[in-house]
Amino acid sequence: MGILRFIIRRLIFMVFLILGVTIMIFFMINAIGDPIDILMAERPGITQEVIDNIKSYYHLDRSLTEQYTLWLWNVVQLDFGTSIIYNQPVGSMLVNWGWETVKIQVPSILISLLLAILFASIASTRQYTKTDFGVMGTALLGRSMPGFFTGILLILIFSYWLGIFPSYGAYSTRSPLMGSLLLDSLWHMTLPVMMLAYFNTATLTLLIRSSMVDVLRQDFIIAARASGLPNRRVVYGHALKNAIIPALTYLAILFGLMLGTAPVTETVFTWPGLGFLYITAIQQLDYPVIMGITLIITLMLVLANLFTDIAYVFIDPRIRLE
Amino acid sequence: MAHHNQQSQALLDVSGLKIHFFTGAGVVQAIDGVEFGLESGETLGLVGESGSGKTISSLALLKLVPRPGKILGGHIRFENDDLIDKSEAEMIRIRGKRIAMIFQNPAFSLNPIYTIGQQLGEIMMWHEKINRGEANDRVTEMLNLVGITDPASRLKQFPHELSGGMKQRVCIARALLCKPLLVLADEPTTNLDVTIQAQILELLSDLKTRFNMAMILVTHDLGVVANMADRITVMYAGRICETATAERIFNNPQHPYTRALLSTIPRVDKSYTNIQSKRLTVVPGRIPNLIHPPTGCRFHPRCVEANGECSRTQPELKTVEEGHVVSCLKR
Repeated sequence: MGILRFIIRRLIFMVFLILGVTIMIFFMINAIGDPIDILMAERPGITQEVIDNIKSYYHLDRSLTEQYTLWLWNVVQLDFGTSIIYNQPVGSMLVNWGWETVKIQVPSILISLLLAILFASIASTRQYTKTDFGVMGTALLGRSMPGFFTGILLILIFSYWLGIFPSYGAYSTRSPLMGSLLLDSLWHMTLPVMMLAYFNTATLTLLIRSSMVDVLRQDFIIAARASGLPNRRVVYGHALKNAIIPALTYLAILFGLMLGTAPVTETVFTWPGLGFLYITAIQQLDYPVIMGITLIITLMLVLANLFTDIAYVFIDPRIRLE
Repeated sequence: MAHHNQQSQALLDVSGLKIHFFTGAGVVQAIDGVEFGLESGETLGLVGESGSGKTISSLALLKLVPRPGKILGGHIRFENDDLIDKSEAEMIRIRGKRIAMIFQNPAFSLNPIYTIGQQLGEIMMWHEKINRGEANDRVTEMLNLVGITDPASRLKQFPHELSGGMKQRVCIARALLCKPLLVLADEPTTNLDVTIQAQILELLSDLKTRFNMAMILVTHDLGVVANMADRITVMYAGRICETATAERIFNNPQHPYTRALLSTIPRVDKSYTNIQSKRLTVVPGRIPNLIHPPTGCRFHPRCVEANGECSRTQPELKTVEEGHVVSCLKR
């Protein structure tokens, strides 16, 4: 089967890509500075000996090549090192903070996909009507507004004016909502999910609508109608399945680049996710954390691409993996 | 209607059909009072240049005029019902079941992501209320009838795995699945190789006899209709010029446009030596802009016989002989 060879080839390629990306990031972090210097700068009473001890504890006294090799060797054994700032194993931090990111990102992407399919179908079958312009206008607005602005607007409306949703955090600091941890969690998730979903829905709607408009003009759609198939089967069975194919790539990017949009969302809502952690880690040059998150971003992007390529084969029979 | 005076036998009778397209640039008066009709088992050739409204007229019979087009008036009597009064829910029971259509470009008129079996079976299941297994059997049978070898294994193939001629055979099979009374064939051979064209026309002709279907053959190719059609309707700029038996259209054309069209095709049975230019003639001018169609007779700007009257008065269809109607002030 050609598909297996294709996957293996892509996985080998992925190894080289990850090596390249991590080497670049590793050397760039070191070019910026040393995390211990940043930490110690605020504590003037500390002696050079203590600093040297700490540096040697974190192997920061070794050469860059040695440091990188050591990091890589540990990563291969699934040891991501220890955070310099939090003094916790990075591996479990990635899981714990990552879960908070997944919690808002995955629902928002899934909600966006469903809404976008719905809106795009409604708009494209009513091309150039008020409904279509309404959908497109709202989508264009969502696509053009910077994410943090949407977030702040949501906080203003739903937290400050209406007071119905919390403006920050993933959990209540005192008692959870109605005594239920699940409800409390969902309650906190609402605004960040809305912020992400608005942007994602907007983009996907524009994308799917335009490809739907193209597909609906095709001869095979007129032929399906001329065969007597009802509108609903023509639009959802014949047109949508063709129109969704170009949107798959974008969907994969959304999944793969989850951590790319996370920093903004999580900063606006002070959300304890990987994006928030990434920003603080970069500010403090907590390099084991930076490296860990970078590795995950690269991995997710490459895997998402691989999955899309494979999904294409199953959805579009004309596509063959060479 | 004069052109088929036995009203009771008429399968289809289109009269006064008027379709306008409401575009940003203005209202395109695409179809303006078109009438034609045919009886059971008959083949009507609908002939005209691109833009004459022949494809739109045939889509109108299924009430599938694309936006921004709108049927503004007229009657489409089919089996004594007026399709104009039918709701969309009623139309989906007629389309594909009693009136089916074959499209111009077989490469684009099959859904690329479904197998032949899936897309033809779906139509069968929808109209005949049968299950997938029975539908597959019926589809296989029909594929066999349209001359597809090894039909059972074709069910699992996708359109891109078939040749152009094969695709058109599949499209013909799709149209005939429910044995419709009327088939609309819109330029069914235009996009095919010449050798395949002949095969497809022969196939259509055979199947038409076999199922006793009526057919409207929409084409710009007079050569195609010459062999296939019992009667021919010539359209120009959204109006009917002339309707007569195929024989009369070729041997005794009355409308100046029909004559002009015929003079553009080379004929082996005519001598060209005594014609002054020794070249094939072309119809001078071009098809008019239908946002601002010519007044009076729409053909008058290109007509060799036109005078002042032709630009003022719109000609009515009149009978010049039994079964031969012409819309020309000069006849």
